[in-house]
This record gives sequence, C-alpha cells and structure tokens, in this order.
Amino acid sequence: MAHNNDTKQAVRSIFWIWLVLTIVGVVIGIYAPGWLMPKAASSTMHLVILTVIVFSVAAAPVAAMVYSIALYALVKWRWRGEGVPPDGPNLRNNTPLTAVWVIGSTVLTIFLLIWGLAALAVDDGGGGGKNPMTIDVTGQQWAWSFSYPGTHVSSNELYVPVNDKITFDVTSKDVVHGFWIVQMGVKVNANPGVTTTVSVTPDKVGTYDIRCTEICGLYHAFMVTRVKVLSDADFSKWLASQPSRA
Amino acid sequence: MTTTLEHTAHESKSKAGGFLRHLNFFTGVITGVVMAVIFYVIGRVTLDQSGRGFVDQLTTVTGVGWVIGFWLGIGALTGVGKWFIGKDQTHADEMYLAGKDMGKFRYWKYTTDHKVVGVQYVIVTMILLGAGGILAMAIRTELMTPGNHFVNPQIYNAFISVHGMLMIIALIVAVAGPWANFVVPIMVGARDMAFPRLNALSLWTLVAAIPLLLGSLCIGGLSMGWVTQAPISEQAGPGMDLFALAIITFAVSTTVAGVNTICTVLTMRTKGMTLERLPIFVWASMIAAGLGLYAFPFFLVVMSLNLVDRMNGTSFFIAAGGGTGWLQENLFWLMGHPEVYVILLPAVGALFEITTVFSRKPLFSYRTAVGGMAALAGLSVLVWAHHMFTTGWAPTLGGPFMLTTELISIPTGIVFLCILGTLWRGNIWMRLPMYWVFGFVFNFIVGGVTGIYLSDIPVDNQMHGTMFVVAHFHYVFVGSVLFGAIGALAFWFPKMSGRYLDEKLGKISFWLTFIGVQVTFLAMFVSGLRGMPRRYSSYSIIFEHTNFISTVGAYIIMAGMLVLLGAIITSWRSGEASGPNPWHSKTLEWLVPTPVPLENFEVLPVITEDPYTYGEELVNS
Repeated sequence: MAHNNDTKQAVRSIFWIWLVLTIVGVVIGIYAPGWLMPKAASSTMHLVILTVIVFSVAAAPVAAMVYSIALYALVKWRWRGEGVPPDGPNLRNNTPLTAVWVIGSTVLTIFLLIWGLAALAVDDGGGGGKNPMTIDVTGQQWAWSFSYPGTHVSSNELYVPVNDKITFDVTSKDVVHGFWIVQMGVKVNANPGVTTTVSVTPDKVGTYDIRCTEICGLYHAFMVTRVKVLSDADFSKWLASQPSRA
Repeated sequence: MTTTLEHTAHESKSKAGGFLRHLNFFTGVITGVVMAVIFYVIGRVTLDQSGRGFVDQLTTVTGVGWVIGFWLGIGALTGVGKWFIGKDQTHADEMYLAGKDMGKFRYWKYTTDHKVVGVQYVIVTMILLGAGGILAMAIRTELMTPGNHFVNPQIYNAFISVHGMLMIIALIVAVAGPWANFVVPIMVGARDMAFPRLNALSLWTLVAAIPLLLGSLCIGGLSMGWVTQAPISEQAGPGMDLFALAIITFAVSTTVAGVNTICTVLTMRTKGMTLERLPIFVWASMIAAGLGLYAFPFFLVVMSLNLVDRMNGTSFFIAAGGGTGWLQENLFWLMGHPEVYVILLPAVGALFEITTVFSRKPLFSYRTAVGGMAALAGLSVLVWAHHMFTTGWAPTLGGPFMLTTELISIPTGIVFLCILGTLWRGNIWMRLPMYWVFGFVFNFIVGGVTGIYLSDIPVDNQMHGTMFVVAHFHYVFVGSVLFGAIGALAFWFPKMSGRYLDEKLGKISFWLTFIGVQVTFLAMFVSGLRGMPRRYSSYSIIFEHTNFISTVGAYIIMAGMLVLLGAIITSWRSGEASGPNPWHSKTLEWLVPTPVPLENFEVLPVITEDPYTYGEELVNS
C-alpha cells in the first residue's frame, strides 16, 4: 500500500513539474527561433523557421518528461542516510510502460517524418513569378562569380529581382565549396566537374549574405559576398548598366 | 643468436621472456626513429624524384618505417617471428609477457595482461584528450575576437583538422579502451582476453599512430578538416599523408581490439554466464566492437584511396581524372556515422551499470536495453547520407535517409527509458559517478533534440556546415560521451587503483565541466542559428558576443578538466583506500580482490543469476 501511495504521489508531482517545464519549453520553442534566426527573405526560409518552431514545440513535452522524472528522482529519491543505501524495489520491467514509451516515440517520429516529407514536397523554390531565371554560380578559391546566361554579364556580387524564381546552377573550378544564401535557407555544394542546382524565390528587397560552408583552404572564412534583391525595374537597370564580358 | 636466447630461457625461469626482456617502449621509439630514417634514405635513393607524388611517397614511406620500427622495437612481432621459425613461446615466456613479478615497469612494455592494457589505455586516452584539448583552447582563443589575431588561417585549419581527429580517436577509445579491457574479461569470468597478445598489439598500434597525427600537424599543409573532403584533401600539403597514415594505423588498432572484445565475450564466459546474465556493459562493449568492425574498414579504404591518389597519380576522388569527390564523402560517412555509435554505446553501457549500482535497483527492462543498443547499431549503418544532404549527391535519396535518421530517436528514447526506469523509486546514492549520469541525461536530451532538426532536410539546408552542427555534436561527444567516460572512470577507479577518485575535487570538476558545456555550446547554437559557418578562422562582427561567451565557456571546461587531472593524480598516489567492492556492486569485477591478481580468479566462478538482484530479498520475505 505504501508503495502505491509513493507512486501516486510521485506521478502527481512529476506531472506538475512536467507541465511547467513543457510550458516553458513551448514558449521558448515558439519565440526563440524567430528571434535568433535571420529574418527570412524567401518562402523557403519561412518554412525552415516554421519547421524549427514545430519541432521545438513537439520536443518540449518529451524533454520535459525526461527532465521532470530525473529532477524528481534527484530530489525525492536521493538517499540521505549514512553509507550504502538499502536495496530499492526489485522492479525489473513494466511491459505496458515500455510499450507506451516505444509507441509514443514512434508516433512522434512518424509525425516528424510526415512533416519533413511534406515540407520537402512543398519546398520547390517558391512561386515562380513572372520571369523565372537561371544564374550560373562558380566557386573558386576564394571567391564567387555569378553569370547571367544570355547576357554576357558576370559579377562577384549577386543581383536578383524580387519575387521571381531563381535557379542557381552551381559548380566549382577547384575544390568543393558550399553555396549558402543565409537569409533564404538554401544551400548546395559547388563540386568541381559537376553542376548542382538549387532554386529559391526571394520575397523581400534588401541586401543579404552569401557564405561558403565547406572548408576550401586558406581563406575559407573570407569567401563571403552579398546578394542584392532588387525590384524588377532596378534589376533591369542594373543588368543594362553592366559591361558585357563576352 | 636466437638459439642462445632460447637456451637461456629454458635454463632458468627467471630468464623467461627471451629477447623480449630487452624490449620496451623506449627501445620501440628508438627502433621506430631509426627505421623511419632508414626508410627515408631508401626512399630518397630509389624513388623517382621528378615524379609528381615524390614528396607524398617519401612522407608515407617514412611514416610506414616508423610504425614497423616501433612494432619491432617494442616486441610486437617477436612472438609471431618465433612461431614462424617453429619455436613458440613457453609458458614461462607467456607469464613474463603478462608482466608477472615485474613491478611498475610492466606498464612500459608490450604486456599482455588485460589489466595492464586497461591502465595503459587510460593514460593514452588522457594524452589524446590533453593534446586535443590544447588545440581546442587554441581554436577558441582565436575565435574569441572576430579577426585573425592568435593564429593565422593556415595554422587554424591545421588545428581544427587535428583537433577533430584527435578527439574522435580519444573518444573511440575513452570507454572501450580502458574498460572493455580492464573489466569485461573479469565481468564474464575469464582469466584474460581471448587473444592477450593482440590486446597489447591494439594498444601499441594506437600509440604508434599518435606521433603520425601530431607529426602531420608539424609538417603542415593540413587544409581539409577532419573529414578530409576531396579534392581539398588531394590539394593539401604533405601533412595529409601522415594524417591518412595515422588513421590507417588507427583502423588496424581498433579492428584488432574489436575482434578481441567480441571473441572474449563469445568464447571466454565462465560456466553459467549465459548471454542473458551478461552485465549490460558487456553487451554495450560487444555491440560497439561489432559495429567498429563494420565501420573502420571504410576509414582505412577512404584514406588509402586518398593516399594513392596523392602518391601514385590515380584519381579516385578527382573529377578531372574521372573520379568523384562524392565517392570520398560516401566512404567517409559510411564510417563516420556508425563511428558515432561506436563512441556512444560503451559510454551508455557504463552509465547503465552506474545507474543500477547507485540506485540499488535492477536495470530497468534489460532486454529492451540490449535491443535498443542493437537497434542503434543497426540503424546507424543506414543513415550515412544525412551528412550529405547539401552535397548535391542523389537528392532523391533524401527522403529515405531522413526516415532512417529519424527512426534513431526511438532506440535513443529507450536509453532514457532504461535510465529513468532504473532511477524510479530507487535509493539514489549520490556519489561521484552518479553526478555524471545526471549530467549525461541533461546534455544528451539537448544533443538528441537538436539532432532532430538536422535530420529534417529543409532545416538541414539552412543549418548544415554551421556552428549549430558543431554545437549539436559537441553536446553529444563532450556533454554525453565524455561525461559517460568520466563517470566510468570514477566508478571503476577504485578497482584499478585500490583508491577512491577524490569526491571533492571530482565534484568541483563536474560542476565546472557541466556549466562550461552549457555556456560554450548554448552560445555556439546561437552563433549557428544566426548564420555563422563552421571552420571559419575569422567572422563577421555580428557573431562577436556569442563567440566570446563560447570561449569563456571553453576555458571553464578546461578548468574542470585540469581539476579532474589533479584529482586523478592525487587519488592515484594517496587517495582514500577503497577495498575490493566500495560500491557494493554485484558484477564479478567487484568480487575479486583489489589489486586484481594476475589471472583474476583462483577458481573460475559459476554463475546462477544475473548481477541485478537488488531488492530480491524484499520480494521473497
């Protein structure tokens, strides 16, 4: 009987600790990602931030459960006597509990997977816009160059029009580089000898960052440049002002 | 010469060991250096000096000379050599080899006693962690401020490459090396490992790899990071040759050690020690060793192909010559992800043992624990391409690899279930080892949850290659595995030394390390979330504050490690005597005397029940 009361008391206390920790976790999960991550400049990046929020909220009760049980054990079941504690109860297994635990984590995993696959399917680089365009991206130690097919224009900073789907054909002249537009949530490696592709639709005019994410030698840390997202009119003006390098 | 030595060996028992009497670590080093010089000179004379790969060939040949010379000089090949000419070791020779009546000097020799090898592994692990830790401090010092002030980018790149590899090697051996050797044979009721000489071989081969790795740092040109991605690793300077050779040598060491552990558990168990009665740490060691046998050959292959590309002008990994860097990445991560679990499982096994002993309760759901660890091992070989989501290789496989990766959270949940279930209603004895268990539970949740974000492809497209990933795996490796390794050290230290690991210093070390980990890596998560790529020697001013905090945290961890080192040294010399079974545990290693006699058991025990019978009297009465 005493054991049953112990267990009931423990379950009740752990529930309240769990509830508090879960609420704290959920609040952090909802607000922290948007606060800490860069302001999104594409629908892809919005989806990334949303996914981080959803996963944080889903993980909060699980982490809270582990922490609340561990915390309760640490405080309430701690042996405060002298010397070696007496043996605890001979609990070797609890099949229903084990089953619930495993099934519960399986259900959560399936949810994460479905979310992930759905996000992957939705994320095709965004809307499309009026004038989808392709830009050739070439990495080399330690700079990026961007050329605009059909125009003979090339540049070391990226200029793109807003709200048009941009497809980047990425390659490298020497070693592997990582092409990452930080605020747009897209990244693909630039491999020598092959072309990899990534698409994104910038949805906000502004200046954003491109950083290399694969170690590429001495000046890896300095292989950074900027992307300027312009209105259609500004972009046409910029394109026309560039000297042709054909 | 040999006949004379054989003769004296037979003549008197005190002369047992023959030629091996003259060999030790120091003769190993001398012979290694001499052989390296000889190989260097031969290479210089015979190799084509105008060839493209000449420097790489010469560096590799010299490194191979070192390893062979070290083996010869320490006596690793003596037994094999004698067998080859038809004269096997006598029993007296074997006893000499096991370090009988030799005193402290046996720790400097090719000694086969598994307990000596265990102690040697503790020392080697500490040296590796120390060297890797110094590099970590150098890296964090450089990153304390945005520009390049402390080291230049070239040295920075070399530091991160060698820091990564040193720490990976250190953690692979941190639990499995000392404890799968020291306690597993006793736990299963054996007098030694299945292959005592291979046991010494694995240890000394690991030792031979360390100068190669540190040498690669000295001769320089390491620009590739520990993942040695091609073709930057083809472009790197001659340091890369020694780096690759160090890993090939290390792969030999772990393979030998893994075979030995598995064979010991499968064939050397005493009467009544069924697989169901094995202590959980034995299961963890065996599963990890088996996984290592699968994983490390890939390590050997990827480094060998890289070496022949560099030396002989092949182009396995060079696109211009018809190869592909994706092959390198696939081979590397076929090793790289199972390796995470080779590292993690022994630590988890040790923490399970600690939790049962200090909760005075049976391990909760033993079979689920074994199944969970086996599932972790099984799944870990199917997830490698989640390291390659952004490489552009096989985008259609993204979904399947996301699936296998996320499935890993199920057996990971089982690890928590078994620890929490064991704590449940226990009488929790908060001695030093138990602190590290609670630290592990806290950190492993953080490491695990952040892993889930990275398994999701759209999120990984953002996070890959950033400090977020670095913080994630440091929560796993430092916060979880290193905590497990220190917990294991605190737990088994009394068996190894006959003394307690100092509780007061140990707890100070725990709190410093625990707080240091949170400060360093929580701030590093923020650096990553805000967009800081990893392996940057210099960074934008917007990452200034979080990096400064991470550096302060890293210094706190260093302080914790130094206190731990102090605790180990003072406790080893003059700690409180512990007696044979200070924790009142029921596994076999605690039931033999301390110090453990040379052959462990006078009479081999017969086992009638598992070692988790806590509280059975309460049930029966």
